[in-house]
Amino acid sequence: MSETPPPRQRGNALGIWFFKSLMQLFGLRGAYALLYPVCLYYAIFDRAAVRSAVPYISRRFPERSGFRQWWTAYLLFVSQGKNLIDRHALIAGAVEFDTAIDGYEQLETFSHDQQGFILLTSHVGNWQTVMHSLEKLDRTVHLLMKPEMNPAIRDAVQVDSEESRIRIISPDQEMGGVLAVMDALGNGDIVAIMGDRSYGADSVPVEFLGSTVHFPYSAFHIAASAHCPVVVLLSSKVGGGAYSVNMAEVLWPKLERRRDRKEQLAEWVQKYADILGNYLLDHPLQYFIFHDIWMDAD
Amino acid sequence: MDKDTKLAEIREKLKVLLVDQLALDDVTPEEIEDDSELFGEGLGLDSLDAVEIVVMLQRNFNLEVKDMEKNREIFRTIGTLADYVYEKTEA
Repeated sequence: MSETPPPRQRGNALGIWFFKSLMQLFGLRGAYALLYPVCLYYAIFDRAAVRSAVPYISRRFPERSGFRQWWTAYLLFVSQGKNLIDRHALIAGAVEFDTAIDGYEQLETFSHDQQGFILLTSHVGNWQTVMHSLEKLDRTVHLLMKPEMNPAIRDAVQVDSEESRIRIISPDQEMGGVLAVMDALGNGDIVAIMGDRSYGADSVPVEFLGSTVHFPYSAFHIAASAHCPVVVLLSSKVGGGAYSVNMAEVLWPKLERRRDRKEQLAEWVQKYADILGNYLLDHPLQYFIFHDIWMDAD
Repeated sequence: MDKDTKLAEIREKLKVLLVDQLALDDVTPEEIEDDSELFGEGLGLDSLDAVEIVVMLQRNFNLEVKDMEKNREIFRTIGTLADYVYEKTEA
């Protein structure tokens, strides 16, 4: 397994403090207003930032090049900035967002039946914000992720705090944390796994936005073995104080004994890639993958 | 049947199941030592093979998946796995 370097973090403590102060003084709209010049600065002077957005933009908007491509990158930065501000506002308890959840009844049924399930997350929207919506299910949510990978996520979802029922399972522990995941599912808990970037985990090639990528398959493999469903979590910001969450796509992976395991897993991963690709047709500026995941497949 | 014979039987069955269900092409059941490590060095199984072993225990020995994380030592070798199966099914 190759080690993936942590992504470069932009913005410093002073900048975050400044945005937080602005939010306290002028509310969300005040903080949003500052985003436009700040993102313009990055779009003009941080070539690496723009370059990191191009692999996605060039596939989602193949007809855009030159200035239009650069402008889309700028809009993407602004969109992500708003999501980050929302996240900080939520942590600070400064706001409550209207969150419309499609598919929630199904999750309530799983919870009632003590049916564990895998929540397949992506770099779309603001999935950390959605975690708060799951509290009503009264189940523990386990995030399969390296604890050091993104401290912002730990803060955002208040991992391991007394009042939170969100825990981390590290893939660095023995057997990749698989036994802990199986235990959690057996107990009727929720396990959140990132679906659209492998971070060195075993993966299969699938078609995504017209090109080949390698997406990890562990979620489907575990779900098939544990006889539990995979719920695809998609979310997007739909207005100043509103989020739309879609958890209606539920997959029940099954693996036939006589067929090649990886081939079957690739079929399940392809279903997920298609769901995500279709979602991005309607929410193109909510996908925050600033990495060439397509190059990783070459 | 005494305990040692039963344990030996379980070990042999586990080796056959491992090779078959994990599709280990480069090793035969006879070549797997009772005390060789299953993961990392040794047989070189990975985390997702652990999932298959859990399923294998469920399917073939009717063992419930509970507290696997606490009992992860049982997954160390064929010997420890056989001890666990014996303890749960025979003792």
